Amino acid sequence: MSKRSKTVKITMDNKVLQVKRKLTILQAAECNGIYIPTLCAHEALTPFGGCRMCIVEVEGMRGFPTACTTPVEEGMVIRTHTAQVQNERREILQLILSEHTSSCLICGQKDECREYMGTIRKAGVITGCRYCPNDGQCELQDVVEYLGLKEIDYPIYYRQLRVEKEDPFYDRDYNLCILCGRCIRMCQEIRMADVLAFKQRGRQTVIGPAYNRTHWQAGCEFCGACVSVCPTGALSEKARKWEGKAEREEVTTCSLCGVGCQVRLLIKGEKVIGSLPAEDPLVNDGQLCVKGRFCVTELVNNHRRLRKPYRTQNGAELQISWEQAIELAAKKLSDCPAERFGLLVSPNCTNEDLYVAQKFARVVMGSVNIDTTARKFYGPGFNAYLNLMRMSVPLADLSKASLILCVGLDTRFGRSVVGVQLRKAIGRGAKVITINPRNNNLTMIAEKWLQPAPDEMVHLLRSLVKLTEKKGRRTMMSASRRKRGDLADELSQVAEMLGEACSPVILVGSEFLQRRESPQILEAIGKLARNTCAGVLPLPAQSNLYGSVLMGAYPELLPGGFSSTDKGRADDLSERWSADIPTFPSRRSAEALLWGRKLKVLYLIGVVPPNREPHSDFTIFQNIYPSGSPGQADLVLPAAAFTETDGTSINGEGRIQRVRKAVHPPGEALPDWEILCRIARKLGKKGFDFGNVRQIHKEISRFVAGFGNFAKPRRKASPLLIEGELRVVRRKSAGKKRADKKPPFMMNVSTVEHIYRGFPLTDWVEGARMLFAEETVDVSPEDAKKLGISTGDEVVVSWEHFQKSLLARIVSGQQRGMLYATLRNGEFIEPNPHPVIMRKKDV
Amino acid sequence: MIDREWGDIFSGFAGEQGDLIPILQRVQEKAGYITKGAIEAISQFLKISENQIFGVASFYSQFRFTEPGRNSIKVCMGTACHVRGGQILGDVLERELAISAGQTTEDKRFDLQRVACLGCCALAPVIQINDDIYSRMTVIRLKEVLEKYE
Repeated sequence: MSKRSKTVKITMDNKVLQVKRKLTILQAAECNGIYIPTLCAHEALTPFGGCRMCIVEVEGMRGFPTACTTPVEEGMVIRTHTAQVQNERREILQLILSEHTSSCLICGQKDECREYMGTIRKAGVITGCRYCPNDGQCELQDVVEYLGLKEIDYPIYYRQLRVEKEDPFYDRDYNLCILCGRCIRMCQEIRMADVLAFKQRGRQTVIGPAYNRTHWQAGCEFCGACVSVCPTGALSEKARKWEGKAEREEVTTCSLCGVGCQVRLLIKGEKVIGSLPAEDPLVNDGQLCVKGRFCVTELVNNHRRLRKPYRTQNGAELQISWEQAIELAAKKLSDCPAERFGLLVSPNCTNEDLYVAQKFARVVMGSVNIDTTARKFYGPGFNAYLNLMRMSVPLADLSKASLILCVGLDTRFGRSVVGVQLRKAIGRGAKVITINPRNNNLTMIAEKWLQPAPDEMVHLLRSLVKLTEKKGRRTMMSASRRKRGDLADELSQVAEMLGEACSPVILVGSEFLQRRESPQILEAIGKLARNTCAGVLPLPAQSNLYGSVLMGAYPELLPGGFSSTDKGRADDLSERWSADIPTFPSRRSAEALLWGRKLKVLYLIGVVPPNREPHSDFTIFQNIYPSGSPGQADLVLPAAAFTETDGTSINGEGRIQRVRKAVHPPGEALPDWEILCRIARKLGKKGFDFGNVRQIHKEISRFVAGFGNFAKPRRKASPLLIEGELRVVRRKSAGKKRADKKPPFMMNVSTVEHIYRGFPLTDWVEGARMLFAEETVDVSPEDAKKLGISTGDEVVVSWEHFQKSLLARIVSGQQRGMLYATLRNGEFIEPNPHPVIMRKKDV
Repeated sequence: MIDREWGDIFSGFAGEQGDLIPILQRVQEKAGYITKGAIEAISQFLKISENQIFGVASFYSQFRFTEPGRNSIKVCMGTACHVRGGQILGDVLERELAISAGQTTEDKRFDLQRVACLGCCALAPVIQINDDIYSRMTVIRLKEVLEKYE
């Protein structure tokens, strides 16, 4: 038999075409610029053949096959729009429309009416018929226009379904749904979240989760992928319902976590009206999480954004001009001795901002007191975490791994892009093991779920390290006597799986980072990776943690990640910057220098004032939102958000990625680097004459490898390469105090991690409040029953010197006697978990 | 951890996706209807989401999601019964019992189903309560028939 050629010859609409063998008729038509109307087909999804709009005539085939499901064959003769086909399509479309609110489609007055829809009233009033928020973007409208449908011959059947508004971020009006099934296929095939399904059949068919559950209850990740593919207005974003079409787009890097997804910002005028995933195969591959998809617009468009600089005097806010503000800052800074100055900067800033900030502290102030909030977030485990980043592998390695071990990882809301990769890996036959005291969406898909008590995590990992070191030797876990046999068995199985796996990957989440033993846990993960030749990928919560280290935004590190005690490097830097570089006193801790004492001037860039009183004589607060409690900042400077500034950022895998300016900052707000440069110039310092970000980037390229090409940064993942080390204070183990009685509850405390420039997203994004737990405590169903608590009740947890009222949430699959609290401000509670008493708050 | 109540339901199944419908049938046989707990247990056993299981089960009219009542009413919607007013009987029953087809009254006295054909078209319109057939049914007779059942 002769070898089959890769192409076939077909005739479509009297044109002879040579097309690839595996295409469908629809794809072949699209490749050759022939339009076939479709409603249910989508390039990313498997063919469905549901809407019947794409029917064509094929010679020799019975009836009208659908173009989206019929593959091309040699010699096929296809006609896509004969009079009969068009007639059939019109008939089918009428049937679809007989259940769809169709005034916007076939009304004779629709064009005249549209002109009068604008209103001079200040309220959001719409005149004329508007049943659907997708007007102008609806694919039904396109098809109706193409087929020239003018009226519907069938009686209109309005389904009278309730519009579902109870979930955050998007509304669902299934009266507009045409059951094309795109959202279901998206949820099942691409996201593999399996939240949506067709329910019932025939005329009763609706789309949704089991029973009448809300999407939130059904385990939805709120990635918005279903909303993006809906051809009608059935699924619509709450925040941009009536915004209309975007005028232009800009691809940038999302700054809401360390995954660094590429997003397409939709822009209308000077406003970002939406964010969609970019088709970027390196990181997110056309996927986003709830933060990137829905939180960006609400975050940057919030009406409380800072627009003008102001100073506070006797509790009053006085608006001042930029000149006055720069002058005031310069005056205060020139009076401030180097050791009593402090600069705290957010790890959400771009590399260029971070570089200028550390240069400002070192050159302008001659001070080493520069730090980021990551030090507080990671606490004693900071250095151990960076050590794992030195071993990191790209996310794409998940596609090669036969085993993926997740430690303390939750991928439901944040990092859901990684969750999709995990489910893809499972579909390919890879195994996932999750080590987590808590039940989350990974436990169901995982081959094994090791559920240690939070304080047993380190024992468990160390046992795994030992088991992978010497095969055959079993190590008993001392901490859990009850289930020792089972657990030891499980552990040796896991160790065996790790030993046999082909290029395994260990994903490191953030759920244990606030615990005292986090350095030990992180070190054990490192050892485990070395023992099993596994790749490690820590997934930091901060968008530019990597960059903050490489730019030298810490007292211990110089740009390029060199140790600041390295005399040669410091001298070299002094020469390049033509200024004396202060050296970090080798025996001091950065924490004591910056966080533990009162300073004369504290300069906060993208950081909220620390939770202590008073933190400084004079506080400069530079951010996108006001600081919350007035009086905490003496001078407030409005800054640009990541959608309003140019620069680069380095994600957790070590890819240098562009952050692009989509719109101008609101009011008079300026990018961080520009404000810093203006103050530096006012103080008469040299080396701050940057006119744009490109110049800063060029200067960075002298210190840091990989920098240089600003327009097209090197987007290659690379492990963190630094010579310096961060000095962290390891808290001594307090020694186990034996309580007289067994404490009723152990409370495990963690800090919120969905933070942008010091603020939890929940402050500015309404929908996020429902998804991200804050000031809550999770209780097991058994304990809740015993105390008569239900979800949403207020409870009081107390221990020796502390009392706090929190909202209870009942979580199934949680260990008895264990409480998990998520608190807004990251104070380390010692010890963690802490024995507490809990009671229901008296009404 | 699969609920102990449902553990034995899965005996003999390998845990493949294709086992879903036979398992659902076994659940309905045992419990009389598909309970929420059963769907949760099946979901864990087959690693299919509860949403998808519900989607599949609700497609087939053989599965019900509410507890059956003490007496079960079937209204015939076959061609002959339809012509002779079966639709009206169904509507009246729904109003009278304040439930819709497929549901059970709050006091668990009746459940109501619309069925395709009971096989006695000559007697149309027909309703069946438990094992009793009521032929040439009228709206007026409905009420007294219902009173026979507690």
